[in-house]
This record gives sequence, C-alpha cells and structure tokens, in this order.
Amino acid sequence: MARKMLVDEEMNQTNQEEAHYDFDLFVIGAGSGGVRAARFSANYGAKVGICELPFHPISSEVIGGVGGTCVIRGCVPKKILVYGAAFGSELEDARNYGWELNEKLDFNWKKLLHKKTDEIIRLNGIYKRLLSNAGVKLFEGEGKIVGPNEVEVTQLDGTKLSYSAKHILIATGSRAHRPPIPGQELGITSDEALSLEDLPKHAVVLGGGYIAVEFASIWRGLGANVDLFFRKELPLRGFDDEMRAVVARNLERRGINLHPQTNLTELIKTDNGIKVTTDHGEELIADVVLFATGRLPNSKRLNLEAVGVELDNTGAVKVDEYSRTRIPSVWAVGDVTNRMNLTPVALMEGTCFAKTVFGKEPSKPDYSHVPCAVFSIPPLSVVGLSEEQAIEQANGDVLVFTSTFNPMKNTVSGRQEKTVMKLVVDAETDKVLGASMCGPDAPEIMQGIAVALKCGATKAQFDSTVGIHPSAAEEFVTMRSVSRRITCRGKPKTNL
Amino acid sequence: MATTSFTAPKLSSPTFQTLCRNLPLSLPIPKTLSSFSFHLSPFLSRFHLHHHHPTPRFHPRRLFAVRAESENGAEPLRHYDFDLFTIGAGSGGVRASRFAANFGASVAVCELPFSTISSETTGGVGGTCVLRGCVPKKLMVYASKYSHEFDESNGFGWKYDTEPKHDWSTLMANKNAELQRLTGIYKNILNKAGVTLIEGRGKVVDPHTVDVDGKLYTARHILISVGGRPFIPDIPGSEYAIDSDAALDLPSKPEKVATVGGGYIALEFAGIFNGLTSEVHVFIRQKKVLRGFDEEIRDFVGEQMALRGIQFHTEESPQAIVKSADGSLSLKTNKGTIEGFSHIMFATGRRPNTKNLGLESVGVKINKNGAIEVDEYSRTTVPSIWAVGDVTDRINLTPVALMEGAALAKTLFQNEPTKPDYRAVPSAVFSQPPIGQVGLTEEQAIKEYGDIDVYTANFRPLKATLSGLPDRVFMKLIVCAKTNKVIGLHMCGEDSAEIAQGFAVAVKAGLTKADFDATVGIHPTSAEEFVTMRTPTRKIRQSSESQGNMGHEAKTAAGV
Repeated sequence: MARKMLVDEEMNQTNQEEAHYDFDLFVIGAGSGGVRAARFSANYGAKVGICELPFHPISSEVIGGVGGTCVIRGCVPKKILVYGAAFGSELEDARNYGWELNEKLDFNWKKLLHKKTDEIIRLNGIYKRLLSNAGVKLFEGEGKIVGPNEVEVTQLDGTKLSYSAKHILIATGSRAHRPPIPGQELGITSDEALSLEDLPKHAVVLGGGYIAVEFASIWRGLGANVDLFFRKELPLRGFDDEMRAVVARNLERRGINLHPQTNLTELIKTDNGIKVTTDHGEELIADVVLFATGRLPNSKRLNLEAVGVELDNTGAVKVDEYSRTRIPSVWAVGDVTNRMNLTPVALMEGTCFAKTVFGKEPSKPDYSHVPCAVFSIPPLSVVGLSEEQAIEQANGDVLVFTSTFNPMKNTVSGRQEKTVMKLVVDAETDKVLGASMCGPDAPEIMQGIAVALKCGATKAQFDSTVGIHPSAAEEFVTMRSVSRRITCRGKPKTNL
Repeated sequence: MATTSFTAPKLSSPTFQTLCRNLPLSLPIPKTLSSFSFHLSPFLSRFHLHHHHPTPRFHPRRLFAVRAESENGAEPLRHYDFDLFTIGAGSGGVRASRFAANFGASVAVCELPFSTISSETTGGVGGTCVLRGCVPKKLMVYASKYSHEFDESNGFGWKYDTEPKHDWSTLMANKNAELQRLTGIYKNILNKAGVTLIEGRGKVVDPHTVDVDGKLYTARHILISVGGRPFIPDIPGSEYAIDSDAALDLPSKPEKVATVGGGYIALEFAGIFNGLTSEVHVFIRQKKVLRGFDEEIRDFVGEQMALRGIQFHTEESPQAIVKSADGSLSLKTNKGTIEGFSHIMFATGRRPNTKNLGLESVGVKINKNGAIEVDEYSRTTVPSIWAVGDVTDRINLTPVALMEGAALAKTLFQNEPTKPDYRAVPSAVFSQPPIGQVGLTEEQAIKEYGDIDVYTANFRPLKATLSGLPDRVFMKLIVCAKTNKVIGLHMCGEDSAEIAQGFAVAVKAGLTKADFDATVGIHPTSAEEFVTMRTPTRKIRQSSESQGNMGHEAKTAAGV
C-alpha cells in the first residue's frame, strides 16, 4: 500500500512539474546533434522545441539553417565537390582502358555548384520534415538562454519569443575562424569555399588539417594550381605519421605544391589577385586564399556564462560524461563542446542525451574506436590508434603490419599511386589496436573494420576471415608477415 | 629416376640437406639445430629427436618403426624426387607449393603452357584467377564502368564535346600485357620459394608418380589443383558459342551479345559488354538471376542492371544456335528465336578438369560432376594424393583455394593438421552494380535459425542525387533473434565488394547487432548504413502455429 502511494505521489509530482514548463526540452541549434537529440527525445514522449537561424550556405552569427554544418557547409557539400573533382583523374585513367576522350575536358563549375546548392536545399527540407514528423516544434530565429529553464528566440522580424523548458540543449556547433594576419579579410573560410562563384585558377590553402587537405584535393582535381601551407612537417597532425607521409606524397604527386613549416604573414590586394607573403619571405599571387586553420565553438551570443554555464578557453561548453553542463538543466552536444568534432559523434551524443534524459537509461557516449575519414583524393580512413599512440599506450610490444601495393586499376591505367594499409596489433593480446588505409574507397572499406575493432577483434580473427577477391579490402585479412615489432622499452612491466 | 634439379630447403647444415633429400621426410625449418620435430604422417605420428650434438644424426631404426605404423603399407624408406608434386599452378596449387617449400619441403609443380584460352593442352602459371577469371574480368569491369562514370560526370559538371568512344584493341593489348606480367610474377614467386616449375601436362601414374609429357617424377605427396573449365551444353550449333575464356579475349567489340546463364559470370559479362556499349541480352532459365543468393538481392540486382540497358529474357532456355549467311547468329529458345547476335556466350557452369589425369585408374574417387572427392583435410581416397581448389568443387573462389592450399601445406609439412573453415566466407559479384555478401541468405537463415530479424535499407546514394541516374543501393542485415548475432550481410550497390570485407571480419568473429550499433559511422559513406540500422524491417518468428503464415508474410514484405 505504502509503495503504491509513493508511486502515485511521484507521478503527481512529475505532472505538476510538466505543467510548469512550455517544453520538456528546448534545443538551440538544429544541426546533426540537435536534430538527433530533439527527434529521439520526442520519440520518448517529450514535448520538444528547437530553434535555428535562417538558411544560407554561408554561416554567421545570424545565419545558419536546419541541417547544420554537416548538411549545409560540411560533409555533404564537401563530398559532392570531391565526387566532382575525382572525375578529373578518373577520366584521365580511362584512356589506357581504351576510351578516347577529348584532349581537354570541359568542366562547368557553375553547374556543379548549382546542383550542389539544390541538393543541400533539398536536404534542408528533409531535415525540417524529420523534425515535424517527430512532433518537434521548429522556431526560426536566434536562441539565447535567459535562465536555467528559460530561452528566448529572436525572430527575423525582431519579435522575441520566450519559453520555459525543463531541459535546455545547446547544439549550436562551430564556425571556421581566420588567423589574425594583415589582410585576413581577403581570405575565405570553408563556408565560402563551398560556394565560390568561379573555380579558382590559383588557390592558396593555409592549414594542415583535414579541411585544408580536402579543399586542396578538390581544386587540384578540377584543374586549379594549388599551394598548401602548413605549420608542421607533414599535414594531418594527430593521424598516424606513416599515413601522413603517404597523404603528403599523394597530394604532391597529384600536383599540389606543399609548403611544410610555412605560415602566411600577409595578404595584399593587387590588380593580378591576392599577393600572399609567407614567413619564409616567399611571395605568390592567388585568386583565392582559404584559411582552414581551425574552427571555434559558437558559444558567444548565447548568454551562457551569465546563467552559470562554464566555457573553456576556446569557448567550448564544458560538459560531463553525460553531456551535462554545470547547470543541471542545461546540456550540450556536438561541436560546441569540442570533444570529437564529427557528425556521427554528435549523433551519438544526441542519442545518448535523449536516452539519459527522457529514456530513463543514463548513457555515456563512447569515444573509443571512433572511425573517421579524410576525403582527400585518394582518401584516408582510420580507426583506433595510430602507431605512435599504440606505442605510447602499450604495456608490451606492438606489432605493425603494413601493405603497400599498386591497386589493380592502376596496373592498366598506369597511374603511379600506391595504396597503403596498416594494422597495429598488441603483441601480447593479439588485439588489433588500430587500422588505417590511404587509397581509393578507404572510407567505405574502413567501416566494417571499425565494427571488428570496436569489439576487440584479434589479428587471428582478421587472418581467419577469407578475402574477397579481387578487392583492395582483402589486403586487411591477408597481412601475414609483420613489418616491424616495436619493443616498448622504458616501460617495464610490473606484476604489482 | 627422372633428373630434376633438387631445391634444397632453407637449411644451413649440409648434413641436414642430405638427410632431407634422401629421406621421405619433411621438416619444419628449425630455429636451432638442437631439436627437430620429424613429421611423418599428419594425423598419426609426431615425435622428437633430441640431440646432444649441434649437428643432427639420423636414427634409421626409430624412424622405420614409426613409419611402419603410420603408413598404410607404403614402402618404407623409399626415395622420392619430391616431397610434394603439384599438378596445376593456379591459386590453390601455387599457394600450397610455396607454403610447403617455405616449411622446408622439396616441391615441384607442373603447369600447361600459357594461353588466354584454356584447353587440354594450354593453361599457364597463375591459373584461372589470373589468366581467365578474377583479374582479367575485373580489368574489363574497370574498363566498362567508365561509360556509367561518363554519364555520372555529366551531373557533376563534366562535358564531352564528342561522345567518348572505346577502342577495343587498346584495352585488349593493355589487359594482355598485364596478364603476361602477372604470369611472370607468379613464376617468380615459385622460383623464389624454391619450387621447381615444370612445363607440361601432368598425369598421375601411381600413388607416388607423376608423368609430365613422358618424364616420370616420384613424390611423397601428390596434389591435384587443376581447377575447372567452362562448360557449354551440347545443343545444335553450340560450336558457334563462346565461353568466358574467349569472351575475355575477343579480337573486336561484340556488337550484339547474348549471354546464356543467370550465375555470377553471366551477370558480370553482361555488365562488361553493356558498359563497353554492346547490345546485351541475358537468357536465364529461372525467373530470377543468381540462384542461391538472397532473394531480395536477386530482385534488386536484376532491376538495377535492366535500368542500365541490359535486356533480360527469363525462363528462356536455349535450344539451338543457327549461323546465317551474313555470319550473324540466331538463338532459338523454348519461347522463340532472336536473331542478329554477333556473339553468343554461354556461362552455364564450369566443370572440374579431371579428365585424362589418370586419377580413376590409381583409385582416386571422382563424383558424378567430375569433382575429386576429398575429406576435410583435402585428402582423396588415395592417402598420398590430395586435391584443392575448383577441381574439388567445394566453394569455387580464389581465396578459398588459397585457404585450402595453405591449410594443406600446414597439414603436410608443419605438423599442424588444418581444416579449411568454410563458415562465413564472403564473396562478391562484380556485376554493375556489384554485390558483396557474407553469411546466410534470409532463406537459409530462416531454415537454420527459425527466428530472425531482418534489417534492410534501400536508398539513393549521394552520388546519384547529383548524377540524376536511377542508381540505388540495397543493404540487408540478418540477425539471429535468439543470440543477436549478425548471421548474414548483403549489399548491392557501388563499392559493395570493398565494403563487405571489413564486415566479413565482424560476422566471422560472431559479432552481434548490438556490436554493429555501438560502432560509430563514417560520414558520409554508404557503408555507415550498416551500423545505423535501428528498426527491423521485419521479424520472422517460427511459432508452431503461424509458421506458414509468417513465411508467406516474409516473402510478401521482401518484394516491397
């Protein structure tokens, strides 16, 4: 009896609480993480509102669009341009297969750009429909936190709406930032790079991360001259060193001029284009200068600190393992938290948030073995640890298996470009700690490998899998002899 | 005794080499010379000789004793030219020979002279895969895929002032140059491994003797790895038909081709010729292509190929081929006659190459299809004769032949009896679009497990939204309801073959649907769809009452 009453009381309490708020959840930002969290929460029965800035391909403090970075200014338009650019070399390769093509192939940038924009507008509509189908109420305007349970949305016409919500989720993502050098206003970020009026003839790219490498590949593939400047010796810091070198070699072979350990110091507008000066004193003229020097969380105009939400020194919202900020009713997922800035990770965080808050199932996102891809041409894809990380974390020896081969397609096309694959294995447990590949189809190939690694597959399990012949992927299950064994010295094993 | 060059195993001690040569022994390469394991019969005996000397000494009596009990009456202490004589240097034969040699055995392999078309007298080092199968086929697929890519590229802003034209002879010349290079590489691999290569037609004379064009070689073990060859049914006019060997090496572009058969070879060639701008008709006996594959995949691939311009003639069996005065061919079927073919290709199955090998006369049992019967270790009914690859007609795939060859070398020469493992063997069909799969079909899964959950996705890939082509991708996961294990994975669409490999590791390792779900996707790819399938398309339950109904529902749903 007593128990029954207790339950009733709890229910009454909940009902009362719900009555207090306009929404169970109000989400600020309808990108990958926000939309996922909103939809899943609604599916659990929550009453959900979401606000997003008006749509435009180029983002700002007041411009965004349902779908967010991934759909409007990231993964999707980028991949479309990569597809377009990859045809350049594909068509070259056709000749040795017997195809007779015109000497000079005609490429129409405006057509590609137009079709790309059509596609992201279509996707923007799909995302809106997903939200309304899930019963999520969408507001267009700029969201802001007024109190721990209070949001304010400033609509396009300036009118302000105010709503109370039991939980508030910050999912406002991030934006590209420009380095503070003289003339920086002459340069562009990836937003504009995805929507250029004309294909650059000579592009300068500053940055060594995946965005820099991808745009360098896109423009080069479409015939532009490209100079890529980066601070380190190799691009793609954080990835496996051997694979970084492979990517650098491929970019160079495909005609991109690499300028390692070089920074830009100044941009000056001239009649011939933008004069770019480097810290080595070189000068060159470009019609487009892209800054791919990092992205910063969109946390400035949200009024977060005023209500007590803590930000780190990069502006990222600080959260615990469940994506909760210091204010118990305020949560944050996706790039605005600057954990692992990938769409599928934001999706995972959004899903876990909905489960935790509305699914009665506290769930932490799991950041181990998150695979990722760099859509350079050819692409790189990795999962798990790099060789360097494996050595760093190893207790015992690390075995490295590598395979460098000429893909079968190149045997006839004559393209001089090797595919490189790598498995890093714990010598003691036989577990595969990391896998990487640079070559055609690498991102598609890596997904299944990621499932295996996530679940602790051993090298023996890889070996016992029969290959699919002839494929590039079969190389991952036929790496018989170890390329090197790294004895992790200086880390004596103890039996304590 | 025939004279052959003896290839010594990689051993440092000359005494030891003598020992090897003179005795029917095979030895693992010892790391130190203080202990050896002499391997006599893989299943029965294993003993160690411990020496105080760094140089081994031979102990004839002990060896004799073991041999006597381990061999079924075979002459003890007989001298053989080789530890292993392999007939056929294709995928399985080369793998078994190399690995055996690496384990210290003296090995010879014989192979017919090189030709792109196989026959009783022609073959070539590398075998079907390299010369008349996987490799040239894939090269032709690459070549033919371009016409689709040209169409796609239009949607991405690329334009052609004049339609790209294909020059057949360039492709053939470049393809054949590559095949020549590969057969050379295979010869090199054998040579480097210390395997003696003999060109000629091998024939078994007795359980330990092989005849190659009149020369006799003795061997402790004989391995038959002679593969299979295309089979054309005997109908009137069948002499005008070509098989896949010839189809891979035509002197000029076929203008209008019929491919007869619904298996993977027929579909692959239909795609190749279609891509290289021939008019293509496919004649299949059944209602659907690819018997044995998952039903939904069968439907899907047929639709996609038809969308690319291939004409399917279902439930239509060829009865005769007639050559008309102008040289064109007509195909008469149970439904009528279609005229005007420049080529009619039969892809109506392959048969093991077991004729005239002397197998039956020495007691090797052959089944009614001509395949050699072997046990789980690839041993025939004659204990000293073994067989791997297509000649045994188990799973006729190169990687399976490699697995069988590797297992055999371990069994015979590394003290490690090894059975090939045929569970969760992935495979691909290089049709356009291609298929990749591993594990059970839905139909097999229902039979074997009863209760299963089926997850499907049928979507337009990002590339097609821009190209405007009707390309789609179909993906399917089959999960055992009781254990949550993923027991089947199927895909048809671009990159299927590459995508399936990694998942094959997961399926082979027995991973569950929950494991798939826990894996983060790689965005944007097609493959990520396999780790983001949240809701089952259907749940099939074999409850005793509604068994029939459920089965029916599943079928209906599968067609949606």
